[in-house]
Amino acid sequence: MEDVVLHHQSGSADGLRSLLERTEKLLETFPCRPPPVFMPWFPSAAAGPRRQIRPAKPAPVITSAESPPEKTQRSEEAVCVSETPKLLLPPPLRHRAEGAISPQKHKDGAFRASPLERSWSAAMPRGVPPQKSLSQLFDRVVSAHRLHLRQRAKWVIREHNCGAAQDIEQVWRTLSRSVRRAGMPTCNANIQRDRAEIWVFCDVLYSEQVGRLLKAELQLTGTIVLSVHRQGNVFSM
Amino acid sequence: MTTLTRQDLNFGQVIADILCEFLEVAIHLILYVREVYPSGIFQKRKKYNVPVQMSCHPELNQYIQDTLHCVKPLIEKNDAEKVVVVIMDKEHHPVERFVFEISQPPLLSISSETLLSHVEQLLRAFILKISVCDAILNNNPPGCSFTVLVHTRDAATRNMEKVQVIKDFPWIVADEQEVHMQEPRLIPLKTMTSDIVKMQLYVEERAQKT
Repeated sequence: MEDVVLHHQSGSADGLRSLLERTEKLLETFPCRPPPVFMPWFPSAAAGPRRQIRPAKPAPVITSAESPPEKTQRSEEAVCVSETPKLLLPPPLRHRAEGAISPQKHKDGAFRASPLERSWSAAMPRGVPPQKSLSQLFDRVVSAHRLHLRQRAKWVIREHNCGAAQDIEQVWRTLSRSVRRAGMPTCNANIQRDRAEIWVFCDVLYSEQVGRLLKAELQLTGTIVLSVHRQGNVFSM
Repeated sequence: MTTLTRQDLNFGQVIADILCEFLEVAIHLILYVREVYPSGIFQKRKKYNVPVQMSCHPELNQYIQDTLHCVKPLIEKNDAEKVVVVIMDKEHHPVERFVFEISQPPLLSISSETLLSHVEQLLRAFILKISVCDAILNNNPPGCSFTVLVHTRDAATRNMEKVQVIKDFPWIVADEQEVHMQEPRLIPLKTMTSDIVKMQLYVEERAQKT
């Protein structure tokens, strides 16, 4: 401990003595209470692995690309619930989903992630430069329906658009890759497995460009339909 | 003060309700604090009069609820010694274990301290400790997942049907790999003692996480 220098006003000897006593008391080591020793009540060494159990099903994996589903469920696009195994859906949805595809039980008795009722993917604001010009035909459609260019529109891809060479799941996988690498401006998409449809949402401004990209990249056949909330089908390609 | 056995007033069920409600809050908070899931899926709520983070992702919420639904009968019958939230790396090796040790007295003494408000005050202290535990723990590697381990007494594991109360939510005995942790660092977080339940929480942290 370093030396302590006490400065005081000269006065009575008693006053100095009491001042010294008080100072010595203040400089005493602060009493410390040793904390109680922490001991696990049930040491792990005593318990064999036989006694430790866990759910067979792994916890869900959620990537940061997925948005909180409950937050978005109320909007039109929020049918885009993220990868939801049917087992985990609420009972009414589960029954509906089970009608389509049943969950897969493996040899060890565990249920693996089963086919999903709905999945979604969303484009990042980068990638292919968007084209802002509209064809004359589409411009007339926009005017006729008084659409706002930033209004959302929905392309619907049905099973018959997939052609003979691929099914809707393959189309969905290709589309997801394309949307995620931002190949389609302002897009987010989801698959409605119970309807066997893929819904691709985008701004009206880019919907023609998106439609062309969809048909070319996904090698779609037949006509795909563009619909707008409240107006219904407004355009086809 | 009145002394009761576990059968009186179905105290086991009351304790299981209280603890499972607490464990649900604690698991959500641990997953948030230890960044097992993206912070975007969590929302701020209030529980035990303190802010907590709860997941709003239906799959995760359902998973936690199903897990606790199966744990509840074990706590009710005093068959669960520990409930452990294990955070695992990509190779499924544990990096952190949040161990909730639960001890229930065979005889219950009813006093003013048994009041739910008092127990909730004690539980609140656990929540507050969990919410700041990231300050004393090292960062986890990316891509971690979690599981819940339940250390049961022998009698409970012999009868696995007891645990498998949900048809599509089977339970299995944990592998040694999921349980064993190399050179763990033990960090005590909180201990509570009340008339109806004693609980302590500590973290076992792997020395080398990466």
